[in-house]
Amino acid sequence: MTMLHAIREVQIPLLAATLLGGCAAKVLQMMRAGSAGKHIGPTALFPLHLRRPVAIVLCVVEGGLGLGLLVTAFGFGEHDPADGIRLGSCLLFVVATCALIELRQSRPDVGCGCFGDFSTSPISGRTLARSALLAVAGLATVRLGPITWPGTAAGTFGLLAILGAEVLLIGVLSPEVGEGLIRLGYSEPCELRNVPAARTLAVLRRSKYWRRYAGLITSEVPEDVWRELCWRFVVYPARYQDRQTEVVFAVFLQHRRPVVHVALVDSSTGAPLDRPAGKQRSRWPGLAALLGPAQSLSPALNAAQARSAPADLPLSTDL
Amino acid sequence: MRGAHIACCDRCTSLTGSSRGTAASDPDDVLAGSTASATMVARRRLLKAAVFRPQAEAGPAGHGADAAGLAPDETGSPSVGFANVFHLPRTVWGTILDVSPHVLILGEGGREQRFALTPEAVAWCGALLEPAALLQGDRAIVRLHPFGRNVADRIWANIGRVTGVITERSGNQLLVDEGATRETQVITLQPRSLGRIQVRFPTLEPGYLVDIIGIRRRDELIGMIPATSQPAYPAQRLPAPPLVSGHVPGSITGSATWHEPREEPPGILGVSYPALDPETGCTEDLAGGIRQGYLRMPFLSIGSVLRIRNDCTGSSCLIPVTGCTPIGRLFNDRCVTCGTSPRGRVADLTLASFIALGGELERGCFNVTVTIGE
Repeated sequence: MTMLHAIREVQIPLLAATLLGGCAAKVLQMMRAGSAGKHIGPTALFPLHLRRPVAIVLCVVEGGLGLGLLVTAFGFGEHDPADGIRLGSCLLFVVATCALIELRQSRPDVGCGCFGDFSTSPISGRTLARSALLAVAGLATVRLGPITWPGTAAGTFGLLAILGAEVLLIGVLSPEVGEGLIRLGYSEPCELRNVPAARTLAVLRRSKYWRRYAGLITSEVPEDVWRELCWRFVVYPARYQDRQTEVVFAVFLQHRRPVVHVALVDSSTGAPLDRPAGKQRSRWPGLAALLGPAQSLSPALNAAQARSAPADLPLSTDL
Repeated sequence: MRGAHIACCDRCTSLTGSSRGTAASDPDDVLAGSTASATMVARRRLLKAAVFRPQAEAGPAGHGADAAGLAPDETGSPSVGFANVFHLPRTVWGTILDVSPHVLILGEGGREQRFALTPEAVAWCGALLEPAALLQGDRAIVRLHPFGRNVADRIWANIGRVTGVITERSGNQLLVDEGATRETQVITLQPRSLGRIQVRFPTLEPGYLVDIIGIRRRDELIGMIPATSQPAYPAQRLPAPPLVSGHVPGSITGSATWHEPREEPPGILGVSYPALDPETGCTEDLAGGIRQGYLRMPFLSIGSVLRIRNDCTGSSCLIPVTGCTPIGRLFNDRCVTCGTSPRGRVADLTLASFIALGGELERGCFNVTVTIGE
């Protein structure tokens, strides 16, 4: 068996699998939608009343050709019937390629619908290349004769290698594969996660920053709550040194130990104010004792410590 | 926002202000109509800067403001980088009192204003035409030249747009639902424009989405041109949105559309964003309207600021989010003004913003890059 012959033989199961896969995906799509009325792909080129029958015919043709390719692969229906089905597969992909080119021109927003709901991304050069490649593959199977198993292990290995390479090539040309892989390993980014504000407030009230500023806050109800990307901002009215102020919290939206930022601002100007001194509790008292003498060498450090050490620890995960 | 905890919404009274309805040639006037919105935008921006400024430097990698894509401006000024009405094309509204090949006179509420027309000035009233062909009494939206205070280079007369879900078709009239908080709109399709519209919107049947630009005549829109292309699915059978994994990119490319002012002050520079935080979301959601959109976008709120760049002209500026776009998020269409946008509608601009960024209203959309977290 020559290499060229082996490549031609591999096309038959590959084409059959593609056609049956496309047919199954379309049937699944119809079952989900309750009808064949959910039109994506080349059926969008047809008038509304023709789309449903066209979708059904396309599905039936794909299924029929896929089964036909398998049935006639090993000698049943040699020559004319087998060649007819293989030529039909080739023609189907040629027509599909032309239809996709037309669809891309007239409806650039529509997916190819080749694999039902999986093919919703707009038609790209890759989609067209895949369809053209399958048309060439179909043409390569015409006048091939029945498939024969290679007699040697090396022959089988070579056949599998060719099959694997072509599957890989089709995978690269298939936008559906990338989307499928994303779905498999999906973890929703925090920017897109719906986090209830009540949960954010509950988390905030357990934080040490809340405890530090709670004495200043004059209302149970926040003045303003808004969200940007992964942060939720909560503003409470407060009173500090006989001034109307506001405490602004920014809470990072994650389930455990979220980062909290806080600022005390003047209500009228929005200018940040010095934070009230808080009682610092060191996590490492021994380390603090060691650092004590060193800190006394620096008046600036002493002043900072006297003002409020927590002000220098603006990020908190200590809830 | 005082007292309005966890509740800001699309078309809040605090956002809409009062409709001015005057010829707004003065930039201060343009901004005055959106004072409430501007105040909230500025305040939230100021508070965000206050809460992040002293801490961003000390923050561990990955948890700082920058890591989250939030970048308080360096000067701390809440207005830095916003659209400057003195540098971008400005827009005025009014009724045409008189027009000649060189001069346009607009009036509203007893005020009259005179604009010189550039030699290249064109008008649109269902089709492109000479400005002198416009009629007295037409409602005009006029784009002023960026460097000429009273020089106009583009006029749209009686232009309107309806974007929504078809609820009923009766002969050549469509009833269109624009959302739970807006009145049902009527589109009348003229036989001469029906063919053109059906090229892009082949299914003018109840349940399908429609987006048509035309001539506003009393309470109906005379449909003239399709704004974009019709999604292939009915509004009730939205395809599953594509999944997004990893970090959401800071810049998102897609399509920007415009909407009629309705309750908004006409001169407001703002954008309706398709993914407001559901907790503080738009009245559409609160009214039990459609929640799920096609596009997955990072959650933001009223007052968040986007840098919007018109990829077709290169113009860009910071624009605050002033509302949500409950219908726009149902569209998985593409803008083809300059190449095919890789994504659907990422921003629904106010008229003034759309024009300021170099958009042509009759085209319906332009390709944009939206940068979030400015």
